[in-house]
Formats: sequence, structure tokens, C-alpha cells
Amino acid sequence: MSTLLSQSAAVIKMNIQSLPRRLWMSLAMVFASAVVVAILLAFLAMAKGFDATMQSAGSDDIAFFMRVGSAAELNSSASREQVNLIENAPGIMRDEQGPMVSAELYVIVDGVKKSSQTEANLPLRGLDQRGVTMRKGFTLVAGRMFEPGTDELIVGAGVLREFDGFDLGQEIRFGKYTWKVVGVFSAGGNVFESELWADAKVIQNLYNRGSSYQSVRARLEPGASLDAITAYLKSEPRLTHEVQTESAYFAEQGKSLAYMAMFGWVISCIMALGALAGALNTMYTSVSDRAMEIATLRAIGFSNFSAFIGTMAEAMALAVLGSLLGSLVAYIFFDGLNASTLGGSFTQVVFSFKLTPELFANGITLALIIGFVSGFFPAWRAARVPVILAFQAGR
Amino acid sequence: MKDFYLIYKNLTRKKMRLFLTTFAIFIAFLIFGAVMTLRSALNAGVEMSADNRLVVVHKTSFTNPLPYAYVNKVKTLDGVKDVTHANWFGGYYQEPRNQVVTLAVDPETYMTVYPELVVEPAQLATWFATQSGILVGERLAKANNWQVGDQIALSSNIFSRKTGGQTWDFTVSGIFKGNEAKVDTGYVLIHYKYFNETQSWGGDSVGWLILTTTDAALNEQVASQIDTNFANSNNETDTSTEQAFNKAFIEQIGNIGLIIFGVVFMAFFTILIVVGNTMVLAIRERTNEIAVLKTLGFESKRIFKMVLAESCLLAFLGGLLGLGAAYVIVTGAAEQMARFLPNLVLDENIVLQALGYMLLLGLVTGMAPAIAALRLNIVTAFSRG
Repeated sequence: MSTLLSQSAAVIKMNIQSLPRRLWMSLAMVFASAVVVAILLAFLAMAKGFDATMQSAGSDDIAFFMRVGSAAELNSSASREQVNLIENAPGIMRDEQGPMVSAELYVIVDGVKKSSQTEANLPLRGLDQRGVTMRKGFTLVAGRMFEPGTDELIVGAGVLREFDGFDLGQEIRFGKYTWKVVGVFSAGGNVFESELWADAKVIQNLYNRGSSYQSVRARLEPGASLDAITAYLKSEPRLTHEVQTESAYFAEQGKSLAYMAMFGWVISCIMALGALAGALNTMYTSVSDRAMEIATLRAIGFSNFSAFIGTMAEAMALAVLGSLLGSLVAYIFFDGLNASTLGGSFTQVVFSFKLTPELFANGITLALIIGFVSGFFPAWRAARVPVILAFQAGR
Repeated sequence: MKDFYLIYKNLTRKKMRLFLTTFAIFIAFLIFGAVMTLRSALNAGVEMSADNRLVVVHKTSFTNPLPYAYVNKVKTLDGVKDVTHANWFGGYYQEPRNQVVTLAVDPETYMTVYPELVVEPAQLATWFATQSGILVGERLAKANNWQVGDQIALSSNIFSRKTGGQTWDFTVSGIFKGNEAKVDTGYVLIHYKYFNETQSWGGDSVGWLILTTTDAALNEQVASQIDTNFANSNNETDTSTEQAFNKAFIEQIGNIGLIIFGVVFMAFFTILIVVGNTMVLAIRERTNEIAVLKTLGFESKRIFKMVLAESCLLAFLGGLLGLGAAYVIVTGAAEQMARFLPNLVLDENIVLQALGYMLLLGLVTGMAPAIAALRLNIVTAFSRG
């Protein structure tokens, strides 16, 4: 056993030391596996970043009401009367000002994207102080809160980052009306940072919404059940709403870029096949390059196994090197990369690409598979070619 | 002919390497074909837009409605040929996740403004005459297996009926096709009048206007005329060419589109580099043989051509197979995923580009060894070997 190990160790060392002889072929394999890993990570980081932006926005203790079938906040509606009815639903927390319910408006305005200088949809949310306090992680990073009843608004940090013309103190025109930016807020990196917030009553007025709202949020008492609320909604004929936790709503919205991760897997697996073909070429070249050496070793008594292991180790080493390089490139170029795209509510969601350890693990696994397969068959040949033939071929 | 035999022998001397190299090139062009098709499908809206068509939307956002009266006001302006309008219905079929792009339009004028939509005259006449009739795009009809005469119930995630509920019943009056394969047919058209009279929100408003100008040269003039006309009203407008509008819409998807295509192209070129490297080495190995050929009296030029022909042959072998596979996959995907994907057409443009890259791959990988072969001095080659 120990001879087997020491033989293998010796062969592995020889293989690695002979790498510079096959520099270009070896580099090609490293390069190919690096690109496969980098591409996979780019797509996964995109999907992950978008998902995280959505996921972190929702709270479990907030009930979220939308009109049945509306799928996104933008399409929902709730009249003043309906909001009053929702306030009476069971399990909603109350304080000295009454039930902790926030009825909100969600309208779309145009903003100019910094990256392309084209107009894109931005959500303008109408809410009151009660709604603001329901957002976990909300902090004003500059300026102050909007004054109720005025045309002041506060902008999310994400909007400020990706769009032109929303700096503190600036005036913005949406159609006929001019708004003033009085504050910048952060919400811990989640989707709310892609929004503009202003007083709900002012938006109702300017957008001819009368006294109606769109979605309703309510803080739940500890242990309150959504089933009881659902039963209440069903029993009240004037209500056409359904309820879910806010976190469930955003989890669903977060899935809208999940197809990106899938697309990434498909593309990188097809790519991996191409890279595999290249890697096999590299390893077959390596075996034929060292045919003499392998034959000599086997002639002086080294086992088939050590020849096999030597080639395997070379392939794995190249693949791992490639995966590390690919991960590094992905980390440098994609981690934290700012992007914005259309979300479920037909508005821009500003998010950052996000690489996590498990994503790196995915990339490295894929590279290891390439390394294993591309090493196995040539290694098999190295171990099996009769010594005499190897000597002939090597001459 | 003798040369060709030599090229063939050279190519096939190492079957495994030939297979692996061809396979890698195959994969590269498979990805290229499929992704370029997807990209051109996403950009089809921009490419297919008519150059004399303008879109008028609310200045604040195109999701805000405009008063119906604007249709007639715009019609009277100079340089305007035809005007039509559309409303976003927010339609879905059975399940909210099953979105069906549904536009409520004025049938006659809509078909005038969009001449690329082709319907059998009898079906078109039925649709014009049936208020609850629906005109279904070919792609959607196939995806959902809807036939002329079918009753389908579409729900709206925005509007409710006056009579309660959010589901409208429609009869399929006809199916529209595009006059070209790339024209999108993934949506349905319903009567504006029927929609407006049965929805509970009330108010005669339209989502946006589409108009044609008498001459594309007048576009800018007409656009500014429209916007000035409605300036300082409660509903200011923003008029742009259809092309600009569609482009802006695609750009909403944002730089992630750019990133995706950037990344995929990187993949394509990487494979080419890796493969090119192998091909260069494969020919380098034969320095000795080339020296022998020269000794036998083969002209340098002839050898140069042979080496280049070999690498080009390899590039085209893998490349054409890959492009063919891309075509098969794209055609299959277009059938299977008609509901989600736009019209996928691997057109001659993409084929030409792919052929260009194949030629480039063949020339670049063949050039260095071919020049080396051209310059090869027989004596040094033998003394090296």
C-alpha cells in the first residue's frame, strides 16, 4: 500500500513538473474551465442578487392585502370603504392611534436611467408615517421625511444610484406636477430602495384616485393566523381581496429572475461540454507527450495505478486551477455589480449581483466534473497501453 | 484531387482529436446560433417597426391613460394619415400566472395602422361585426390550442366587470398571422367598445395612440405638433417613433440583457481560442512531414493552401453541424415554448455571421502554421527533427 502511495506521489510530481512542456495546451484547459465557471457564477449571482433584494423586503408579521387575481401591487385596488373593512379583520395589532394598517398607492412615473439615458418606469409609492414605520431597516440617510399634504418626496438609495435627477433638494417634474426631493432613504438594500415615497393623500389628489388606494399592509398580532383573516375576507361580500404575508408576496416576486439561474445552468452545461472536449484533447496530448516516460516507469515496475493517478491528478489540478481563476474573475467583475431590470410590478428594481459561498461551490463542482471526466479516459489509456507499444509510439 | 486526399488523410489521422475538436466547434456554434436567435427575437420589435408609425403616450408614464378625445384631436393634425388606439387589458387565462397579452383596440383602424397583420377576409369581417369577438395571434393560438369559433374566458388583473367579477367571455373570430416570420403574434385583440362599456372603472380613456404619418420625413414635425398641442393640459403627451418607443421598452429590461449577451459571447470566443490552440498545435506537429513534402517537390504555395484548407474544413465541419443543431433546437423551442418566447427565427443574417466566424476561425488557426510551412527551410526542419 505504501509503495503504491509513494509511487503515485512520485508520478504526480513528475506530471506536474512536466506541465511547462505542454504550456499552451494546459493553459487552454485552465482557461476553458475558468470561463465555464465564470459564466455559471455570473448568471447565478444575478438571480441570487435579485432574489435577495426581493426576499429581504418582506416581513413575516405583516399581512399584505391585494385584490384577487391582481398578481402585483400595481394592478390592485382598494376603496376607502374596503380599507376600513380590512382594519376590522381579526389578528391585526392596534396601538393608541387605532389599527396598525397602512393603505398605500403605487403609481408609475418615468425616470432617466444613468446607464442608458433612456426613460424607465419607477414606482412612486403613496403612504403615510404608519406605512414608513412598517418597513424594517428603514433609515433616512440624508435630508428629512416628507411633510404630509405637500408635494415633497423621499427617494430610495437605489434610485439615486441608478437614475439621474433625484439628488437631494432637486425638483422633478412628472407630467404636469413638480415634486421636491427632501430626503434619501435606505431600506437595507431591498426592493423598497428602488422606489420614490410621498404622501398618499397628495398622490390620490394628483392622480385622480379619489379616496381609493391600491394595496394594504397590516401588522399582525403575534400568533395571528392568516386563515382567520382569509375566512373574514370571504365572509365579507364587499371585500374582493386576498391576504398573504408580505414575505410570501416578495418571495414570489423574487422568483421572476429564477429563469436566469436556469438559463445560466443550461448555457454553462453546454459550454462545459465544449470545454470538456478541449480538456480531453489536452489530456490525450499530455498522455501521448509522456508516453515514453509512462512506459519507462511501468517497465521499471511502477504500477498501472500510479500511471492512472498521475494523469488524473494533472487533469484535476488544471481544472481546479481554472475554477479558482474563474471564481476570482467572477468575484472581481460580478460581485456587487449594480443592475436594474423590470420587476413583477412593471417597474425598475435596482439590485446588485451577489456571490455566496454556495454559488462558488457550484462553480467548483462543475469544474471538478470537467476535470474528472477529462482525466479519466486519458488516464485509463495511460494505464492500459502495453509498454512495448508506448515505447514504439514514443520513438 | 490528390491534394484533397492528403488533406483528408491529415484531418483523420487522429480520429479522437478530430472528433473532440469538431465537437468543441460544434458546441461553440450551437451556442452562437441559439443565443443570436434569441437576441434577434428580443429586438424584433425594434427591427420590425414601421418607419412612419408614431406612438403617443402619457408624459408621466405610458401606464397612465389618455382621454379618448385625443384620438379625434390627433386625427385632424397635418401630416397624420391614420390614428388608432389601444388599452392594456392585463389579461390572463384561467390562472394569474398564465398571462395573455390582451389589447382592447378599435378593430378597423387598428388593422389599417398595422398592415403587417394578416387575417383571412372572412374571419376579419366576422371579428369586425362581433363585439365579443377576439382576434388571436397565431403563436398564442398554437400554444393554447385555440380554434376559430372557440369560447374562451379571459380575466383581467386590472379591470372588473360592471356586472361583477373580472372575467370576460370571448369568441375566437379569427387568427392573425404576420406577413413575415418575425412579426410577433403572441397577443390577442379585443373590441375597445365592448371593453369600455362593460368595465366598471368608467371614463372614456385609452392607453396609448398609434398613428401613421403621410411621410416618414414628417415624423418629427408631427410628433412635436402633437406634444405642443397637449402641453399644459391635464394629460401631457410624449410622442416618439415606434422604433424609439420599442427600443426604450427593451432597455427597461436593462443592462442585464447586455451582461447576458456579453457573457455568452465571451463563451463563444473562449471555445474558439481553445479550439484554435489545438488546431495550431496539430499542424505544428507535422513540421517534419511538411519538410518531406517539400523535398518531394511540392511547391510552398501548394502546401500553404493545403494547410489553410485543412483548418477551414475543420472549422466548417464543426460550425455547420453546430448551426444545424441550433436550427433544430430553435425550431423545437419555438413550438414547445410559444407561450413564453417571442418568435424565434434563425434567419440568413445570423447564418451569414456564423459563416463569417467559421471562415475566420479556419483562417486564423491555419494562417500561422501555413506561413511557417511556407517559409520552412528543409535543412533546418530535418536537423531539428
